[in-house]
Order: sequence, then C-alpha cells, then structure tokens
Amino acid sequence: MPEVPKVIYLDYAATTPVDPRVLEAMLPFLQAQGEFANASSWHRPGFKARAAVEAARAQVAALVGAEAGEIVWTSGATESNNLAIKGAIEFNATGRAHIVTARTEHKCVVDTCRYLETRGVGVSFLKPAANGIVSPEQVLEALTPDTLLVSLMWVNNETGVVQDIARLAPLLRERGVLFHVDAAQAAGKLPIDLRRVPVDLLSLSAHKLYGPKGAGALYVRRKPRARLAPQMHGGGHEWGMRSGTLATHQLAGMGAAFELAARRLEGDAAAVAGLRDRLWQRLRELPRIHRNGDPAACAPHVLNISFEGVEGESLRAALPGLAVSSGSACSSATQEPSYVLRALGRSDDLANASLRFSLGRGTTAAEVDQAAAMVMEKVRWLRSLSPLEAWEV
Amino acid sequence: MPIYFDHNATTPLEPRVLEAMQPYLTGPYGNPSSVHRYGRAARDAVEAARAQVAALAGAQAGEVVWTSGGTESNNLALKGATAAAAATRVLYGATEHPSVLESAESLAARGWQVETIAVGADGLVDWPAFAAQLARAPLCIAALMAANNETGVIQDVARAGALVHGAGALLLSDAVQAAGKIPLDFAASGADLMSLSAHKLYGPKGVGALLVKAGVELVPLLHGGGQEHGLRGGTENVAAIVGFGAAAELAQQELEARAETLLALRRRLEAGLAALPGAAIFARDAARLPNTVQFGLRGWEGEALLMALDRRGIAVSSGSACSSGKGQPSHVLLGMGLPRDVAFGAIRVSLGKDNTAAEVDRFLAVLGELRLAAAA
Amino acid sequence: MAQPSTDANPFGYSEAVWRLFNQAPRAGAFAPGTAGVVAGTAQSNAAHAVLRIELQLAGGRVADSRFRAYGCPTTIAVGAWLAGWSLGRTVAELRALGAADLRAALEFSDDRAHCGLLGEDALRNALEKLQR
Repeated sequence: MPEVPKVIYLDYAATTPVDPRVLEAMLPFLQAQGEFANASSWHRPGFKARAAVEAARAQVAALVGAEAGEIVWTSGATESNNLAIKGAIEFNATGRAHIVTARTEHKCVVDTCRYLETRGVGVSFLKPAANGIVSPEQVLEALTPDTLLVSLMWVNNETGVVQDIARLAPLLRERGVLFHVDAAQAAGKLPIDLRRVPVDLLSLSAHKLYGPKGAGALYVRRKPRARLAPQMHGGGHEWGMRSGTLATHQLAGMGAAFELAARRLEGDAAAVAGLRDRLWQRLRELPRIHRNGDPAACAPHVLNISFEGVEGESLRAALPGLAVSSGSACSSATQEPSYVLRALGRSDDLANASLRFSLGRGTTAAEVDQAAAMVMEKVRWLRSLSPLEAWEV
Repeated sequence: MPIYFDHNATTPLEPRVLEAMQPYLTGPYGNPSSVHRYGRAARDAVEAARAQVAALAGAQAGEVVWTSGGTESNNLALKGATAAAAATRVLYGATEHPSVLESAESLAARGWQVETIAVGADGLVDWPAFAAQLARAPLCIAALMAANNETGVIQDVARAGALVHGAGALLLSDAVQAAGKIPLDFAASGADLMSLSAHKLYGPKGVGALLVKAGVELVPLLHGGGQEHGLRGGTENVAAIVGFGAAAELAQQELEARAETLLALRRRLEAGLAALPGAAIFARDAARLPNTVQFGLRGWEGEALLMALDRRGIAVSSGSACSSGKGQPSHVLLGMGLPRDVAFGAIRVSLGKDNTAAEVDRFLAVLGELRLAAAA
Repeated sequence: MAQPSTDANPFGYSEAVWRLFNQAPRAGAFAPGTAGVVAGTAQSNAAHAVLRIELQLAGGRVADSRFRAYGCPTTIAVGAWLAGWSLGRTVAELRALGAADLRAALEFSDDRAHCGLLGEDALRNALEKLQR
C-alpha cells in the first residue's frame, strides 16, 4: 500500500464540516419515518415541520440578538446578499439609487452591485486603507443625497479584517441610510448584538459555522422596518420576502449550529486565535513574508500571508497536503490575482503568492506546526529554484 | 399508522438517497470551488449528480443548472430570460404553480404585458385560443407546466413548443411534478427551459435544477462567485445535490414500476370515489399523473375535510401546499372554469410509491364515514 | 477530520508536469566560471515567469546541464525537462527542438502554450550565445 499523504484542513473560512450534533438535529427530517412533510402543509406532519423551522429561526436569531420574526430563510449567504441589495434597491419608493460599498466585499456583493450599475444604479466602491480597514468617516464622505444603502462586510473572508460596524451603524441610522452587513464570516466568531448595533440587514450562512451547505438567512430589521422587494416569487413564504419550499433539515441544522456557536463563541474564538497566532509565530521565521490585513483588527480564525520570491500557482501546487485557499488558482492561466489583496495595494505577484489559512474547531497545535513546517520548506525550495533569487539575493 | 397522501407537496427521503448523501453530510468535504483535495472531491460528486439528473430528464449534463428548488428554477427562467430583453409579452398557463404565476406577474411592474393561457374544464390548453393569442403580438417567453400539481393533468408541451417557437419565443416547462412520474425527454420536449425539484421525487429539500438549452441567454438571479457558469452564484449544496442525483437515478430505474404501482392505487381510489355519492373527480378524463386525484365531496368544504382527515391521521392537501391555510379557492380549478364553491371543496390526494392498497381502502372508508357525518 | 481520498496529483496537471515539478531534477546552476557553460534566459510578460537554462558542452555535445525557474509548475517542469533532454544532444539537435515538442513531451494544455514558448526561447537564447 502506498502511503496516503495526510491532508491538513486549514480552510474553515471556505466551509466547515457539519458538527455531529448538528447532523443529529437534521436526521429526523431526512428519515422516511421522520418529520419529512412540507412545512407549508396544512396537516399535522406539516405543522411539526413548521414547528421545527420556527424553533430553528429562534436559535439563529438568538446568536445575533434579533427577534425570530426578523430572520428570513434563504439558500445561503449569496442569496441573502442578493436579496438584501437588489431587494432594497427595487423596493425603494424614494427614487434614491446610490450604493456605497467596498472593493474588498465578497464577490457576490461586488457582482450584485456591478449588475445594478448596468441598471442605472450608482455604486461607490471604496478603497480600503492598506490594512484593509474602511473607516466610518470614509463611508460618510461617500454618501450622497441619492444614497439608499451602504453594504459592508463585518469580517473579510480573505483577510479576516474586522470593520467597525458598531461605530458606523448609528451614524448611518442618523442619516437615514439603510445599512446591510454581510456577516457570513463574523457570526459565531465575534459577538454580534443587533439590539445594540442598528444594522438594518445582515446576511448569515450556515456552512461557515459547522452547519449544512444550502442554508442561510437574512436578518431584516422590524423596527424601524427595512422593506425589500422579493427576489424569489411564488407562494409567499417568509412574509412574502422569499418563496420556495423550506428545506426543513437544513434549517434545523442551521438552528442547531447557531445555538452551538452561541454557547461556544468565547471559548472557540480564544482557542482558534491562539492557534492562529502560533501559526504566525512559526511562519515568521521565513524572511520576506507579509501579513495581509490589520493584525490588530482581525477575526480570530484567519491568517493571510503573501510570500515574496515565489510564484503563486507553484506555491499552491507545492502544498498538496495542505487544504488552504490561495490568491491564485491552480491549473488556470486566466485566473486573476486576488482582487481583495490588490485593493489593499499588493502587487499582482504578491497577491498571487498568498495563502489564506483559516482555522476552526478541529484544528490542533500539531497540525499548525506541521502546516508551518510544510509551508516553510516549500517556500525555501521554490526560492532556491528561482533564477531571480539567484541573481538578486 | 398515519397515512401520508400528500406526495405532491413533498416526499419522504428515500433511504438509499440518504445513504448516498451521508458521506457529504458528515464526512470530509469541501467547497467545490476550492482547488485542494477536499474541494475536488466535492466537485466530482457535484458533477456525477449532474449527469444523473440530466439522464432522468433526457438532457445533457451541460444543460443542468443547480438551484435551491423548483421555485428558484421557475424564477430564474422567467426573470432571467426577460431581464435583458426589451419589454414585450409573457404568457403563462392559467393553472401554473404560484412560482411561475407570481414571477410572470412581477414582470408587469417592469412594463411587460402579462397574460394567461386559457385552459378548458379538463385543464388542457385551449389550442385554437392559444394560437390566436400567439398571433396577436410579439412574445418573449411562455410557460406551460408538464403536469399540474393539483389535478395531475399532463399538458402537451411539445405541441405548445412548436407553436411558441413559431412565434419566435422561448418555452419554459415546469416539470417539477412530472419528473420521476412520467418519462421526460428534454431534448424532444419542445421546451427551452425546464424546472425540476428533488424533494418531489424522494430526494432532499433545498435543491432543484433548471435545464437550459444551449443558446438560451439568461441573466442570473443570484449574482456572485461565478458558479454554474455564472448563472447561479453561491456555494453548491453538495450533500443535497448528491441526493438529487441519487434520487434521479433511482427514479429513472424504477420509473415504470413506480408508475404501475401508483396507477393501480389511483384506479382503486377512483373506483372507490365513483361508488361514493357526491364525490366528483376534477379533470377526470384528461391524461393525468399516475399518482394524483383531485376531487370534491358534496357537503364538505375542502379545508374542513382536510382537517377532519388529518384528525384521523390522514395527510392530504386542499390544493398546493404553498396556498394552504390561506382561505383562497384553488386558482387551478378557477382557471379551469369551475365555480368558486366547487373549487372550495377540493381535496388533493397525491399517492407515493410506498403507499398501499390497504391505505387507500382505509382512506375510502374514512371518507364514507365523513360523508355520512356531513349528511346527518 | 477524516481524510478525503487522495491521489498523487490533486490539481489536474499532466503526469509529466507533476513529476518534474515535484522532483525538479537538475535544478541549480554551475559555479560561476565553469568551463564550456553557456546559459540562456527567457522571460514572459512582466516577468511572471523566468527560465534560465545552463548547458555545459564538450565535444559538440551537451555533457551536463542545470536550470532555474520562477513561474508556474509547468514552467518549472519545462526547465527540468529541457535540462534532462539536452544531455548528450548535439547542437543541431538542440536547434531542432521547438515549443510544440515541449508540449508533446509534457502534455500540457492549450492555456499553457506560453510555457512551451518560454522553454524554446531560453534554449534559443543559449544557442545564440554559443554562436557568438
């Protein structure tokens, strides 16, 4: 038997494994003798499914300090972001048609805004500082009388940079501008209390938090009420904001995952941040590496590093035993370097030669040490192959 | 034992499908967009399922776009085909599912002319009227479902396709209820777009597909991430997609056997209803799905009968699950020209592959008791 | 977490590219001033890839070789393959080698055609210097 190479998973920001307790919560809805009925059906099996969906709604609401009635189910954060942004623009009766967002937002926010531009909506894509921060002042300066909505992510998926949502939200509220926050990477990683932070719309995802893929939610504030035009019609589910048969097992799973996250938040965050810092301490032994994003304002689970003197695709390919995300994709000559790192002012080469390590509940100190050793060995090796290094060093 | 006769609302997950999903629910799996091993394993599973779903529908794997379900598929088709076009006209069948109906109607606000395609008392398209309607003004897209969710009536989609294509327009066919119950052949169906859903064929909830013929241009409904060739952003719901694939493969393998079982049960049920004074089956003489019977019972209002049956452990529906509990008569029956009071009395029985003759008999017996109670 | 099924080459490179990238045989450079060594260098747009090949000739044939590369795995594999293939070849044989031969030998896809050209250019550059 050939030795099977070990793969170390440090890609929890891409997706997480489903927690066994979450799966347990999902299984009754996946069994032929279980609660499989349609949650909209008007009979007892249907009522049971509905009750499970509503219990999950309360669990999701609790993690972010919302009311259950403010949670609209979606198929994931991409749909939540689409619904929030397009829904707000299409609903609005004010005629205002300007959005302020940042260049470092998740692709689905950027793409949605670009689409709206083709429909005559003005969009300001703010360039963050080199540390990834978009300051509240910068946002306020970009507002025009035509601005309907600001969309800014709480935690950046590539760099882990945390924006000061708590300070920005009341400033936007005072000015009568809707505030949408993509919290797919923030929920369960840092405390969120929407009773104190006047965000109007907040996107959530299950599979970033040990829940199933295909489940997400959009928080839609009731007081004052944020109004949206539905993006999916048919049947009027979710107060008319999002139609379609509810995927009971996935929502039950999301509820269980969020309840678990609420209980574990502090402990998880401290443990993961400790391991992340350990990884950084190890890797720093390498010369000419650059941490991307402000280390002082970084979510606990992310570490993004650019490596000088190596080419991005080879860096990625040299580490088949490491499941991480890369600023460059393999086997694709047409791949653009990470637009997020480019927006932070990194060169194409440095944006390409970057790795995003994201840690989670399953990560161990041994894995971190092993990953650091693998990365250091391969970076040194690739540098030794490079004629540029030979000439310049 | 409770009796479940509401399979058009949703079906239980087939144990063999759960088995196929299990590794992706629990095991090591990644985001299919990730290039590392975990991501590639997920990607391979998603592509294998795409071929399975395509095979069930007589489509090419490359024509399958994953969605979160039939509702999203219908929304994507109608809004996607019209978003970049100059507003003209959209037509939809009078008995379409709410996701088609409401998506089409949402276009009116954007300046589109939205009209229904008339059907007769048998639920089938009024062909001369449809032809005249097509000739009247330019058309962008028409929607006609393959089989109706309430009555089970099967439409002649190929005939509609020929007419719609003659008018230079696209045809969407919602095949959510047809898939797995009658043979589908997307290539020869006459439809350019076809909607499918997993949870109506013993697959998981939360996943569906839109079949898109080559050359049909759609604007995405969910922007971002570039998944599904840019047509549908969002991390793929890997476990559910794998389940859809497994369910589609089983449905294809067992299609004839299932249809035979269902038809035998349906005939038994219909014979029983025929013997029950005051019971009338809707669209009785039209070609219908082998599992669906919609009927009224004199003296009973549909919601009340539904509740009475529910108390006795029998789950049926008064129409579509989506409109349940809203106190509205079925738009499907109204569209067929039935009076409101008759439409109010509708009960839909939708049988499943695991139902038994004994369950049908028990249902008929309960119905007989309720009829007497109402008469008393 | 349990492990997914693994294979040796998870990224879809050709077997030849994957093997040469991982082993990078003949990587390095001759000591400055080594007798009979001619070096050729080529780089692609904006220096996203640089390939340097060093050939030591003796009696009209390549007696020894080295390469260095900065670039994608295919670029590194092209360098390694060129260095290995050239051993024992005559100058005329070196001259006859083109990008298409590199592609055929390494089985890389259309979108990596530039890696083959880079190899051809580096070899040509070495041969030009030899002529001078």
